[in-house]
Amino acid sequence: MCLLRAGRRIQDPADVLGQEARLRLPEVTGLTGQSIELALQEHFETNPTDESIDRLLASTSQAPVCHLTLSANVFLAPLRALALAVATSEIVHVRPSRRDPVLTELLVRALAEDPDFSANGGVVQLVELVCPEPGHELHLYGSDENLAAIMSTLPEGVIVRAHGSGLGLAIVTAEDELEEAAEALARDIGVFDQRGCLSPRFVFVEGDAIRAESFGAALHRALLRFSEKYPRGPLDVGLQSEMAQYRATLEAIGTYWEGPSHAVGFAPNPRALALPPPARIVQVVASDDGNPEQLLAPWIRYLTTVGTNSETGLSQRMKEWLPQVRWSRLGNMQRPPLDGPVDQRTRATKTAGWR
Amino acid sequence: MDASLDGVPPEPFDNLALDIARFQFAHVPAFARLCRARGVDLDKIDSAHAIPALPTDVFRLARIAAHPSAQDRRIFRTSGTSQGQEARGEHPLRTTSTYELGALRWAERMLWPDGRRFAVVVLAPSASEVPDSSLSFMIDLFVQAVAERSAYVVHAGVLDLDCLQNFISDAEFLGLPVLVLGTSFAFVHLIDNGGGRYMHLPPHSRLMQTGGFKGRSREVHPDELRRQMSVIFHLPESHVVGEYGMTELSSQLYEGTLDAPLNGGIETKHGVYQPPPWLSVAAADPVTFEALPPGETGILRFVDLANVDSCVAIQTMDLGRVTKAGVELFGRAPGAMLRGCSLTVEELFVKGSP
Repeated sequence: MCLLRAGRRIQDPADVLGQEARLRLPEVTGLTGQSIELALQEHFETNPTDESIDRLLASTSQAPVCHLTLSANVFLAPLRALALAVATSEIVHVRPSRRDPVLTELLVRALAEDPDFSANGGVVQLVELVCPEPGHELHLYGSDENLAAIMSTLPEGVIVRAHGSGLGLAIVTAEDELEEAAEALARDIGVFDQRGCLSPRFVFVEGDAIRAESFGAALHRALLRFSEKYPRGPLDVGLQSEMAQYRATLEAIGTYWEGPSHAVGFAPNPRALALPPPARIVQVVASDDGNPEQLLAPWIRYLTTVGTNSETGLSQRMKEWLPQVRWSRLGNMQRPPLDGPVDQRTRATKTAGWR
Repeated sequence: MDASLDGVPPEPFDNLALDIARFQFAHVPAFARLCRARGVDLDKIDSAHAIPALPTDVFRLARIAAHPSAQDRRIFRTSGTSQGQEARGEHPLRTTSTYELGALRWAERMLWPDGRRFAVVVLAPSASEVPDSSLSFMIDLFVQAVAERSAYVVHAGVLDLDCLQNFISDAEFLGLPVLVLGTSFAFVHLIDNGGGRYMHLPPHSRLMQTGGFKGRSREVHPDELRRQMSVIFHLPESHVVGEYGMTELSSQLYEGTLDAPLNGGIETKHGVYQPPPWLSVAAADPVTFEALPPGETGILRFVDLANVDSCVAIQTMDLGRVTKAGVELFGRAPGAMLRGCSLTVEELFVKGSP
């Protein structure tokens, strides 16, 4: 509860922590002020249900010390990461992301100022380096490459829960009204500028290429409306370069709609899926074009979530095929309940130590 | 090709490139769509580098060929990626004759300008083992062209050091110079596992190395790899020649370090690659794709007249610089800065594996 109170202070624009967050976050995250406000007000999980909390607690184990290494993840992610860590141990050592330490620092400061937290024996310390010992838990967040590098340096007997990168998939079902589905999905794509592992990158539209192309056009319009209220943040040159390549690629194989803060690509009969750069860009595919399972097969290990409004047809097939991913309705893909890690693919592993 | 090597091209390069592009506009749907999306009328441009360049990724996503698949005689495929076999890029050919002519003529100039014949040893799989590899196909061509005797010493991904050493000893006994052809990662395996073996090559021998590492071995800087090859094989560094090629192209580039001492060509440094006259290279702005002035660094765009039945203009994500001396390669252009936990193209590239 103390952590949720800390989160609500940051959410509150009148609180000193809320003011500091709004001052510092645009620079370190690269998101616009409007996008940050949207995320804080509507995507910060500070009011979970009791059922969610019970599930979060059930997803953790106990350790004498829990170490936490954060990356420049979606900027709200430290709340969930800290919730999992404090549920694991009364003593938490957290190394914030060097690039985006803001929310972690503010949450730790709020906890330090909360007499209930220390009265209950809780200690959350910011550290430069985490040094887990055998029997401790280490929660790691970051790219798969960085996670592997860190894990290779650990002593034997550390319990590791590692959360790497991922992506989301959306399914527009045969029953969906296209404009409504597009409106809902535009928010899932736009929040956090598509930088989250729950952000949809591919959209399968049940039906033929004509329906899928119509959906692509509707999604383009919906993203235009979304971007008017919540413009995308500035892009680095590397991302702009990837976008230029992706644009030329989709122009060659299909249709490409581009707005000032987004793009939608539609490829009829693709041989494979092309990963759109994470900048509010998606690829739309008709489910009648080829075999969705075959197209998705190379991406399975990266899939963290599927958004869909129904459990029939393609969604039903996917649910049987992908039991380990999060499922939500379109428009709610970026609102996972605070019920455990966002990424449900990973399990705790014990390190074998140096070889 | 022969005429252009003699400095007497039959037609201006731009005219040939535009003729091929117009043919491909009519017969390669992906290229036609790209031209239309870019609003480029091929009848109204006069420079090869104004032809819209197809990103290499398109070869993975759509068929890029001016002929129906029933006429395919060979399909070259990119090496596997973390996205699986079905996501490999494909370059279908209805004839390999243009590829063969170009590969042989340019190798004659850059690898054996002295017209020698060799004992050829290959540190790469043969074309019979990987029939869809353009590299193995090219190496087989070279073996057929200049080998008095030959051996392939990589089988099922394993380098047979005994076979390599015996082959070199036999060549020395017979007085034959050795031409070593192989991939960078095979040479790294040789460095790591061949310790102490005597592998000095006879006089006039030489070595061609190509390709990156992509997780198949540890990475070694090109200068260091060349130095180590020079020591292990007892070759002058000028006789260790880098090759650059890709599945989506039909032509290759070479470091020109052999051309100067053996053919009286212009002296060039290692790291500077020479394209044949039928291949034009330019650096492009990574965001706008506009051609950059000579000497500026950008992503490399190739106009390859030997790509008759696929796409004449290819856009890569490889960083490089084009000067009067040749083409310098700086590796893959850096991708987006990692922000958040959304999977990035960069991560996929790093995870690439055979």
